[in-house]
Amino acid sequence: MERLNFTHPIHLTVGLTLWSLWFVGVYSGLSVACAVAPPAPEAGAVTLLNAGLGMISLIFTAGLLLLAWGSFQVAKQHRGRQHFHAVVSGWLYLFSAFGVAFAGLPIIAVPPCL
Amino acid sequence: MKSVNQEAVEHDPQQLHDDLHDIWGNPKGLKALTIVNHTTLGLRFMITGMVFFLIGGILAMLVRTQLAMPDQDFMSPEIYNQVTTMHGTVMMFLFAIPMLEGLAIYLIPKMIGARDLVCPRLTSLGYFCYLFGGIILTSSLIIEMAPSSGWFMYTPLSSKEFAPDLGSDFWLLGITFVEISALSAGVELVVSILRTRTQGMALHKMPLFAWYILAMALMIVVGFPPLILGSVLLELERAVGMPFFQIAGGGDPVLWQHLFWLFGHPEVYIIFLPAAGIVSTLIPVFAGRPIVGYGWVVAAITIMGFISFGLWVHHMFTIGIPQLAQAFFSAASMLVAVPTAIQVFVWIATLWLGKPKMKLPMLWVMGFLIIFVCGGLTGVMLALVPFNWQVHDTHFVVAHMHYVLVGGMFFPLIAGLYYWLPLFSGRMPSENLGRWGFWLTFLGFNGTFLIMHWTGLLGMPRRIYTYEAGSGWEIFNLLSSISSFILSAGIAMVLLDIALHFRFGKPAKHNPWNADTLEWANTMPPSAYNFVSLPNVETRHPLWDDPNLPHTMAEGKHSLAVASHGRREMWGTDPITGKVREIIHLPGNSWWPLFAASALAVVCLSLLTRVYLLAGVFVIIAGIFLLRWSWENGAHPNAAPDAGVKPGDPPLHSRTMDGPGLWAMGVFLIANGSFFLSYLFGWFYLWTVSPQWRMPETPPLSLMLMGAAGVAVFAGAVIMEKLIRGLRQQRDAGLGAGFYTAAALGALQIGLTGWALWQAELSPTQTSHDAVMLVGLAYALFHGCLAVILTVLQGLRVGYGYVGVHAPFEPGVVALLWRYNVVVFGLLIGALAVLPRVIGG
Repeated sequence: MERLNFTHPIHLTVGLTLWSLWFVGVYSGLSVACAVAPPAPEAGAVTLLNAGLGMISLIFTAGLLLLAWGSFQVAKQHRGRQHFHAVVSGWLYLFSAFGVAFAGLPIIAVPPCL
Repeated sequence: MKSVNQEAVEHDPQQLHDDLHDIWGNPKGLKALTIVNHTTLGLRFMITGMVFFLIGGILAMLVRTQLAMPDQDFMSPEIYNQVTTMHGTVMMFLFAIPMLEGLAIYLIPKMIGARDLVCPRLTSLGYFCYLFGGIILTSSLIIEMAPSSGWFMYTPLSSKEFAPDLGSDFWLLGITFVEISALSAGVELVVSILRTRTQGMALHKMPLFAWYILAMALMIVVGFPPLILGSVLLELERAVGMPFFQIAGGGDPVLWQHLFWLFGHPEVYIIFLPAAGIVSTLIPVFAGRPIVGYGWVVAAITIMGFISFGLWVHHMFTIGIPQLAQAFFSAASMLVAVPTAIQVFVWIATLWLGKPKMKLPMLWVMGFLIIFVCGGLTGVMLALVPFNWQVHDTHFVVAHMHYVLVGGMFFPLIAGLYYWLPLFSGRMPSENLGRWGFWLTFLGFNGTFLIMHWTGLLGMPRRIYTYEAGSGWEIFNLLSSISSFILSAGIAMVLLDIALHFRFGKPAKHNPWNADTLEWANTMPPSAYNFVSLPNVETRHPLWDDPNLPHTMAEGKHSLAVASHGRREMWGTDPITGKVREIIHLPGNSWWPLFAASALAVVCLSLLTRVYLLAGVFVIIAGIFLLRWSWENGAHPNAAPDAGVKPGDPPLHSRTMDGPGLWAMGVFLIANGSFFLSYLFGWFYLWTVSPQWRMPETPPLSLMLMGAAGVAVFAGAVIMEKLIRGLRQQRDAGLGAGFYTAAALGALQIGLTGWALWQAELSPTQTSHDAVMLVGLAYALFHGCLAVILTVLQGLRVGYGYVGVHAPFEPGVVALLWRYNVVVFGLLIGALAVLPRVIGG
């Protein structure tokens, strides 16, 4: 159970692992969708595919922000090693959330399969 | 548990040193080939790396000579292609990575207060694989049959059709051989950093250099397997005609690009991270204060380790992928600038707040900062898709790459070499010669590559062997070529300085730069065992906080200052807290790594010359050598037959259920998993994207046979787990029989899988579908055989008394492989037998 606590160093990698999963998911999901059932080009960025990818991105961003908040809260309760792990994990969660939002931004405006 | 003689503690320090030297010292003469010590092998890696650097440098000079003037015929197009390909290949695979690995192998145990790396024989195997692979690869230059398709070996240029001679085979086989070395170092550096730090050195107290090397090593473990898979597939295509990358056979040449760059982009960061680690080590020392923002640097390292795996497609922006996908990779490529910037600001802040002394190593650090920041900025430019399209395959990209790699790796490397030179030799370098070397290198480098940006912007493509007069590129090329010779003169001066200092350098005083980290607690040059006694370290700056520490360590006033047991020992500590958990005993010098590497070299040469029978025989011989090596572990008479320790000390690792071997197996399985996931990626990629992919109407693999094989391997794994649970509860009745039963189930899995394969009647040279399926099944069969052999050996070791309640360590290592096999086989059944039935072609 200790591993679930934000003071465990496993959290140094969880945020970016989630970012990686999101990244692989949206890239491969997009590639498969474009190969199997590409939306009409004239639809531009207003497609179900964009909506789905956007929704996934929002969920990941929100989840990562929540984890960042949790880490910072726990960091306040500790000193030394545990504080270090929690606070660095918090920043890494925050960066991962930013990473999802930033790399996912083109979903709003770019047609998916052109 | 027996107690060891404590007399050694009472001995005077010199006696203790002599006793430890008897145990750890290096043999001379022919037996020097058996040395497994990290100090010696680290130096061998670095010296060999410098030799390859000189070869790669001469090739670069040839390229610049050819391009100095238009319409030159100094080299023919064929030779020019070989020279450029080998320049890139040698510099990336035979210099940059092994050199930095060598530095890490040399430094990491000293920095974390250990006496050696955790798998010394693996260090030795890695070195010989590197040496032999490097010799095989570079020998292709001598016979004018070097690879010529570019250092990234794009298909179909590197395929049989357009590269019918042996050049591509030299590359594929030689590089794969060298990658064994990289992976070996990756695995043991990870385990060493996590499990062998000295007492008290918690994760957040370890030197930043160790963080950087931990990230680098993990990236090697995850990043190299995709290229190994790609090389295996391409070699299979070239050797026997399996059409993985041929459209007509249902393959796709773009798959090679994905597999290559899945490795290739992280590779840039694998090279950069240790170099940045050098910078983060040196700047605080010369600024005379702790680094500003240790936690920020740890975060930046972690971010780089992950994000760098999400950039690979930015090398492929022009191949025709959807704009949205390009936008994802473009954004990710910009994101990676954030951790780089964090580090640059941390370094600047540390210099700003400290009192920097501009000694020779710092000159190279400043050169790094200037060049690398410029390279980073052109990197952000290249991340922008429209700009990337414009300059793709021009000299602009070549210039950017050299700014990043030479600025990001070579300058910090030389800074580090100058910094640690007194540790290597006990002597100081010449400031005058060193400064001349720096300025010539710095000016020559910028003269060569800054100008090359303009040549590229004017449209000069990469890898053209000459150009016409009047193209407008003449003056820029001439200036680049002249500057490149100035650069060479600078590097020659640095190498001369380093060579001369061994003879003429002033003797260095102890800790000459007033550094804070433990490597400077060694004697200069270091002894084979590093430290007489291992201290308790609970600070990031042990030598600043206790300048007397090197003396008390040398006097044996700390832990493990005992030699009477005759074992090579160091602490095994908790990866997070640094609390002592066990005593790790290490193997001594051994011929097995050399023998195994030699057999693998014969395999490599046999495959190259297409003598497959000989290759098969030597695969078996190499396997026997490796298994014989593994036999000398734990309670074996050549390892640690006597488990005695000092009263109050923890047990030997081989008498516990945990230990470095378990961790090494775990990390190795991460690498293996990366290979397997790359394979699954290839299967699904071809299935989805390849225009001529042909899925048979009836799936060829029998679901029933594969399912039965899956049940067999699962049952074997369950038995293994049960045996281990018994060992945990101090029960070993029926242990040997249990191992043999599990092995029999493994054999059943192999038989059933083989039967399914035979029944499938695949045509692997006709369709990529069948070829990919065959590779997957061969992978499963290989792992099945490995698990059976290792399990049978465990049964035998029970009989010999090497494994049991008294020595319960090894079965857990083998059980980990069983668990892996269960997961992998399940995924294979799903991907190859179930999904085709569910989805169809």
